[in-house]
Amino acid sequence: MQAVAPSYRHVLATYLAPHRARLALLAALMLIDLALLLGLPRVVQTFIDQATSGAALPALLTIGVAYLAAALGQNWAQVGWQYVAHNIGLLATNRIRTDLTMHCLRLDMGFHNSRTPGELIERVDGDVGKLQNFLSEFLVQIVLNGLLLVGVVVLLFLLDWRVGLPAIISVVLAVLGAVLLTKLLAHYSIKERQASAELFGLLEERLSGTEDIRANGAVAYVLRRHLERSRTFFRTSVLRALLSVVSWRSLNLAIDIGAIVALAIGAFLALDGTLTVGQVYLIFAYTTMLDQPIETLMRQLDDLQQATASMSRVQQLFAMQPQVGDEGPGTSLPEGPLAVELRGISFAYPNDDMVLRDVSAQFPAGAVLGVLGRTGSGKTTLTRLLLRLYDPTAGTVLLGGVDLRAVPIANLRARVAIVTQDVQLFSTSVRNNLTFFDPTIPDERIWAALDTLGMGDWVRSQPQGLDTVLATGGSGLSAGQAQLLAFARAFLRDPGLIILDEASSRLDPATERQLEVALTQLLRGRSAIIIAHRLGTLDRVNQLLILEQGQVLEQGQRAELVRNPDSRFAQLLRVGLEDALA
Amino acid sequence: MQSVQQMTANDIEPSWRAVLRLIAFRPWIFLLSSAGIISFYLWPLLPGLFIRQLFDLLSSRTPLTNDPQATIWALVAVLIGVAIARSLTTLAYPFGEKAVMLIVETLMRHNLLRHMLGRPGAQALPPDSSPGEAVSRLRDDMGHISIFMTWTADPIGQVLTFSIAFITLAQIDLRITIFGFLPLVVILTLVNTLNSRIRRYRQAAQESIGQVTGLLGEIFGAVQAVKVAGAEAHVVAHLHQVNEQRRTATLRDQLLTKLIDAFSFGAANIATGVLLLLAAQAFQQGQFTVGDFALFASYLGWMAFVMGMVGGYVTKYQQVGISLRRAVALLQGAPSLRLTQHDGSVRMRGALPPVPTPAPQAVEALRTLSVTGLTYHYPDSERGITGIDLQLVAGQFVVITGRIGSGKSTLVRALLGLLPPQAGQVCWNGQPVADLTAFMSPPQVAYTPQVPRLFSEPLRDNLLMGMPDDQLQRAIYHAALEHDVPRLDHGLDTLVGPRGVRLSGGQMQRAAAARMFVRTPQLLVFDDLSSALDVETERLLWERLASHSQHTTVLAVSHRRAALQRADQIIVLKDGQIAGQGRLAELLETSAELRELWRTEKDDTGHSS
Repeated sequence: MQAVAPSYRHVLATYLAPHRARLALLAALMLIDLALLLGLPRVVQTFIDQATSGAALPALLTIGVAYLAAALGQNWAQVGWQYVAHNIGLLATNRIRTDLTMHCLRLDMGFHNSRTPGELIERVDGDVGKLQNFLSEFLVQIVLNGLLLVGVVVLLFLLDWRVGLPAIISVVLAVLGAVLLTKLLAHYSIKERQASAELFGLLEERLSGTEDIRANGAVAYVLRRHLERSRTFFRTSVLRALLSVVSWRSLNLAIDIGAIVALAIGAFLALDGTLTVGQVYLIFAYTTMLDQPIETLMRQLDDLQQATASMSRVQQLFAMQPQVGDEGPGTSLPEGPLAVELRGISFAYPNDDMVLRDVSAQFPAGAVLGVLGRTGSGKTTLTRLLLRLYDPTAGTVLLGGVDLRAVPIANLRARVAIVTQDVQLFSTSVRNNLTFFDPTIPDERIWAALDTLGMGDWVRSQPQGLDTVLATGGSGLSAGQAQLLAFARAFLRDPGLIILDEASSRLDPATERQLEVALTQLLRGRSAIIIAHRLGTLDRVNQLLILEQGQVLEQGQRAELVRNPDSRFAQLLRVGLEDALA
Repeated sequence: MQSVQQMTANDIEPSWRAVLRLIAFRPWIFLLSSAGIISFYLWPLLPGLFIRQLFDLLSSRTPLTNDPQATIWALVAVLIGVAIARSLTTLAYPFGEKAVMLIVETLMRHNLLRHMLGRPGAQALPPDSSPGEAVSRLRDDMGHISIFMTWTADPIGQVLTFSIAFITLAQIDLRITIFGFLPLVVILTLVNTLNSRIRRYRQAAQESIGQVTGLLGEIFGAVQAVKVAGAEAHVVAHLHQVNEQRRTATLRDQLLTKLIDAFSFGAANIATGVLLLLAAQAFQQGQFTVGDFALFASYLGWMAFVMGMVGGYVTKYQQVGISLRRAVALLQGAPSLRLTQHDGSVRMRGALPPVPTPAPQAVEALRTLSVTGLTYHYPDSERGITGIDLQLVAGQFVVITGRIGSGKSTLVRALLGLLPPQAGQVCWNGQPVADLTAFMSPPQVAYTPQVPRLFSEPLRDNLLMGMPDDQLQRAIYHAALEHDVPRLDHGLDTLVGPRGVRLSGGQMQRAAAARMFVRTPQLLVFDDLSSALDVETERLLWERLASHSQHTTVLAVSHRRAALQRADQIIVLKDGQIAGQGRLAELLETSAELRELWRTEKDDTGHSS
């Protein structure tokens, strides 16, 4: 994978620009926080100087009250800007998430087939989540803590340059050290995270395959692999902890020694009367404030490293372009059933052998075409070309006489529907599952579709009708019910061509009969392409296309092929090898 | 079912006892860890004492020593010494706290994994769990338990620090000490009363996160469906809505957390303010020095920080209880002691013991396998098998057939002990098998499931899974995989499985068959190769198997004619019971169910001609 240098400015400009007012509030609260933080020790100094010079009690009490008020104010300012920052970060990352999901959905199937849903969740939720801190707290923390360090050093210099000197030396050393060490530590953090991902990945996979492990007597082997990965995780984890403790403590030590030296110099200056005791206390208070900003800076730099990796992954994803896309205004497909024509189609998946070779075929509008062929003969690929999930490597696909490349994708997918064997269901209401979250489809249309397909009663019998929430992955449904829902999905869109991919395999005869009835309704007045594994499914077919190794073996009217004893189809029927079509 | 759960719930030992047992696993590392934690609390108390002397030296009207400069030098040297010593003790963290947590987590994961893999394969996980959810128990719950173990040292450190600070300050001025500690205690109490609300908000936030990832998973799992439905914009709009719900929940949680953080860690400044008010009078009366003030301010600051870390022990202890229960639930009724037991196999250094391979001649060679009255019903369901009797003779090719849902896979799984039979007996050469789950595995039996799983390892490791590789080439050939392997980028070393190269369904099934052949079992069990293999490949596989190993006995679920015609014996299942048994020709005469299966197919062809 090519690393893309992340362009922070672009992301900041795009996603933070809408929040100018919130950003201004954030800056204001942050400056109040900073001013109060730097001001508090001055109040104590005044108190000590007044107290040691014998000031009146009311004066001292007033200083005390002022201090308390400032301390509370600082607390509120801090909570305030953290809240505002967090909100900005969430608003911005939510926008990125939706944009990125939309972008991914537009990418080709080739992209999705080479990635698991888990990987994409990691990109869209995990990586974008890591940007949240960058988009909210990072800049604020860097600015606030940077200013705090500068402020303390400047104030110490204002007291006396000899006090400021050790402070600035230790601060510069610690900041440089923090920058260098964060880079070093990042390397070990990545290794630790990798080891963790590998360990828990191993566990998840093995727990998904307990039958395979158990029945192949591999329990001891799996336990050993777990121990091996646990050891790797242990080593990387302890090593990273060691390095991080050592670096963190070294920086602290540098700051501590700088602080002690500054305090000592202050003490000597107080002995000869250059500084008051209150001022020495001020040095003590300011120098103890140096630890925290350095630690925060280091944590933020570490986050930045992670955010950089995430940012570059997110931008890589954004940079990908779909191969299949609209060009120009395009021509819409005609109304009604669609004629199908394939002209010299060849196709290969990227970096793979040819799946289809010079396939030509033609079927009139309203035809019901049966496609037969073994696994790997190119049937499924053909349907993908019809939906423009891919474009053919050579040749042209025409629907209703229009070259698919000229048809806007939205129009194409509104007019062509596909029902696959694996019905993908969302754990949301039946309605959302049927409409795919399209709120503009009225319930009357949904009910009409369900009743036409003979499943209205079933949905009515559900506890909440259309609002019934389906379990994850449709686990409460039988395969047949899932199929029927898929039919209804397709029916609602009133397409001119329906593609049915292996929809009838793995079902028992009773369910199949129920589906037959619904299918008849679904196909009425439309063109259809049915890919079937069994001859029974081909009853309703009037045209046939037999593929073998990506080439047309035979095509024509079903009735003619049956009559011709030399046809491949007739041979298949004689041998009775319905399995040969699988 | 009910009684089992009842028993487990009573069986769980108290959390503290489990934690003690974990401590006993590596006591020395635990002690190092505890020493490190306690010293973390105590170190910051030391510099304050010398700072106090420094300020008293500077502010006293009468010189305290003859040579103040030398005293300052001495104090500086001591302070730097303390800083260095403090830095050195932090090395206890990686080798103590971090190490002991990781070791203990590994021990518990190992114990749980061993137990789960020892259970009937189809019931390794509790019915309400999924692999992903079990992993979150193995990761997050183990983490909750191990971190609590190291937290046992924190209260000790905190109480010590508190007492030392209180006594030291009280000797200077009891009244100021009491009133100085007061705001800390008030804030601490406040924070603790808010704890339950935080938990509620946190839980809501966690749930909303789960909803977002769940939806994303569904969207990306159904990309093709979403694309071909042209539903991209609608789906994303729905995602945005769920995302916004999460934002609201997260913000509420964050606001409360930040508020509490600000007040517990910000308590230092508030305590200093209170100190100023209290000390004003004492200062005037000369009872309170600048040195005293510096000591008070430094201790109160540190106490406020420590306060921020105190609290929620009860909650944390309850969390351990919850995590322990979630972990013990994975044991499905086995004694909870299993979680924490140690037998020396979990070590972080030294050679790992070799993987034991099943001894080839452990059991008498198979002559007959007989099954009587085998019964298994899925909980809360009609589905299952009832009273299955069958007999296999060595060298036979036996096919189980039937409609979808007739119980074919259930029969195979119950026979293999992947599901625990509720009744019935399996006899190997007439001898009843006591522990099916343990016995029905290599070298006696091996199995290819309908949807096999390959793991993210090189193909070679997937096939061998710990076995020696002398049978590998033969197994690959028998599984008709020999043309597929060279086509992979790195041959047998190609990473396959979810994170590797994706094999086709047929390749996976043949790889699983090869994995089975490597183990040279006496009985081969296949569950429906036809779901992913085309008929020719399936036939090829049967032929190679028949020609190269006549002595192997095969039990296969199939509806393919190639298999049925080859079978020495066909077992027809209907509604979980045997509806016919014999050779194809006989069954076509005698079994209505097989005729029905056969006729449906004949009808297909007949109809067409």
